[in-house]
Amino acid sequence: MKRSEKLSVFLVIVVLFAVLCAGCTQQASVSAKPTEIKVGVIASLTGPASNVGKNIWQSAQVAADEINAKGGVMLKDGTKVPLKLIVGDDESTQQGGQTAATQLITGDKVDILVGGYSSAVTYAYEQTIADNKVPFVVTGASSPKITHTTDINTSYIFHHCPTTDTYGQYTTMFIDQIVRPAVNKKLNATADRPFRLALIYQNTAFGQGVQTAVNETITKNKLNIVLVSQQSFKMGESDFRTPLTAIKAAKPDAVYLAAFPNEGAPLITQARRDIGLDTIFLNVENNDNAQFYKDLGQYGEGAVIESRFSPYTAPVGALADAQSKFKTSYTAKWGTAPDMMGASTYDGIYIAAQAAGNAGTTDKAAVKQALVDLSMPQVIEAMKGGTISFTKDFRESQFDLWMEQLAFDQTLGECRPKIVWPDNLKVTEFVLPSWYKPGSA
Amino acid sequence: MVQARQRITIHPSPFYFPATDYLTGEDTVDVGILLQILFWGIYAGCIYILLATGLNLIFGVMKIVNFAHGEFLMIGAYVTATVFYFTGINPYVIILFSMLALIAIGAVVERLCFRPILGTGKLNEIFLSIGLIYIIQNGAAVIWGDEWQSVKSPYEGITVPLGPLTIPLDYIIIMGVTAVILVGLYLFLKETKTGREMRATSQNRKGAMLVGINVERIDVLSFGIGCALAAAAGTLWVVSGQVFNPYMGSIPAVKAFAIIILGGLGSIPGAIVGGLLYGIAENGAAYFLGGVWKDAISFIILIIVLVIRPTGLFGESGE
Repeated sequence: MKRSEKLSVFLVIVVLFAVLCAGCTQQASVSAKPTEIKVGVIASLTGPASNVGKNIWQSAQVAADEINAKGGVMLKDGTKVPLKLIVGDDESTQQGGQTAATQLITGDKVDILVGGYSSAVTYAYEQTIADNKVPFVVTGASSPKITHTTDINTSYIFHHCPTTDTYGQYTTMFIDQIVRPAVNKKLNATADRPFRLALIYQNTAFGQGVQTAVNETITKNKLNIVLVSQQSFKMGESDFRTPLTAIKAAKPDAVYLAAFPNEGAPLITQARRDIGLDTIFLNVENNDNAQFYKDLGQYGEGAVIESRFSPYTAPVGALADAQSKFKTSYTAKWGTAPDMMGASTYDGIYIAAQAAGNAGTTDKAAVKQALVDLSMPQVIEAMKGGTISFTKDFRESQFDLWMEQLAFDQTLGECRPKIVWPDNLKVTEFVLPSWYKPGSA
Repeated sequence: MVQARQRITIHPSPFYFPATDYLTGEDTVDVGILLQILFWGIYAGCIYILLATGLNLIFGVMKIVNFAHGEFLMIGAYVTATVFYFTGINPYVIILFSMLALIAIGAVVERLCFRPILGTGKLNEIFLSIGLIYIIQNGAAVIWGDEWQSVKSPYEGITVPLGPLTIPLDYIIIMGVTAVILVGLYLFLKETKTGREMRATSQNRKGAMLVGINVERIDVLSFGIGCALAAAAGTLWVVSGQVFNPYMGSIPAVKAFAIIILGGLGSIPGAIVGGLLYGIAENGAAYFLGGVWKDAISFIILIIVLVIRPTGLFGESGE
């Protein structure tokens, strides 16, 4: 070997050694004890979902304030580090969601992500999450596709909200067990009278998820429910008169809406005021929102919302105090009432803090594993067994749900909810309003 | 007297048919329902007509492309809502205030933004108007917040029997107000000196200048009136119970552009016919094909019309 060749080999070895050392140094810095936990919150601060998005971001700040007031995130060695929140506005669009996720991950270098509301928007940036392997606790997007999809590696994505499968099935069972007998009783009809249900849904992964869940629940359980009309609308729609006219023509006994609050309130108002569709409107949980009650006014009378957190009611029991404390803190800080998606995100921040604390590091793989292994007491939302943990198959937490019925309060000029189902939580019975008109006999 | 509704049985169609009786499997359509859909189409058309007529007036006189026209509809909606919240005055009366406010705002926008770039090329106009969209939307969000809002009409709950239909009074008023505004515009353009000057400028700008018409005054006036018509559309949007926020104007503006292209650039009768056609087609599509076709059908019609008649329904070659 010539001298020059020897020199070359020596230089290659030196370079390789330097690269290895650099790698070790980087690894060591990642595994080092963190000085803060950076949590990125993806919320729709602008666009059609901005009402809910703001609630998500503001609730996250309430949770972070509480955690930092107690010294910060407790790591497994007992020390505490501050929790820092950084928000990304998905602008209620898929493109905006991709931009926000990319900025939070590559620009702000967050350790963990929380949030996501619209399923269509959230799904759009899941590939970015997968590529960068950042743990993401989804607290708003309810399509099961979020963690069930096989097109993308979703192993870093954890679902902390009931899926459309879960609440679509729950609401359909409520219709079968409670609404159907009440309508039969009003009509003096026999129990074998088919219940006429109409469905109007946002034409997105969220709405289609509800549609699928309702259809499958009816088929699998052989329920005596007939879907007499299924209408769709685009996200952000504000004029529902024509699909509602079609629904009225189908003579439904009840209408199930899969809509956002800014769609649900005008939808029910137009149905009752303009179309004369005097029926029971069943709503998805994201409508348990102060603006929804305000916009509905008297037209919300008799409507039903599937829920797990309400700005205006709470189930009696262990969580009542925790929910009340959150509502008080939120209202004191922001001057308005929190909604369900805010409550989920409040939970989500505590979950992120617990996972980072358990991991004791900001290494993303370690935080992800901490989420896989997570078992922590419920925060403000009612969880199955009182514990937050994620299923091994699709990384979904399991909630206890309930149904609320709205009654108009003349003094407030708005409706207020009361829990009517299940039996162990209800404070009153479901009733058909006096003006209720069932479908054909 | 309540009229019996005539029922027509139709054979199963290849499309999703919303009036299918799922128990008998029979497709039926009720004439009363079709009339109802037609009515909602005319209502939607009224909003489009006002928006598109304003846009066409501006294009006709100044030949500028203003993509921010929907933002003036949004401002009109907020002006009406704000005055309503603070005074409780009937929103149908506030429409006059809203229109006057938008004439002033439109005049300022024309003087500060469009006049300096007039005649410098379409690209400048397009990018300027796109910039205005963001500025106006964000300005509105700062002033009014970006929460969805709604206004309750004083006549909500009042219905009027109209043949086989029972129609809320608000929609009849909305159609009446639209008709009055259009007749007023027609008389203004036909019978007043300024209106005639506006038409002359629209037909031949250089010729108008040669005969002594102050075309800059006509520009500012036509831009203001165009914005006022958008404000009227925004007010009627609000009164009809539709929710609104600072981002509401973009989609209606795109449709207004499609309508004026469909009707013929610069043609006010074209904007009226196009607006009605779009309103009816959208609601018909939502009923017969499903809600997701509501927006698409307008552009399908536009493409078909342009293929058959490139100048639009009432347009003249050269525009």
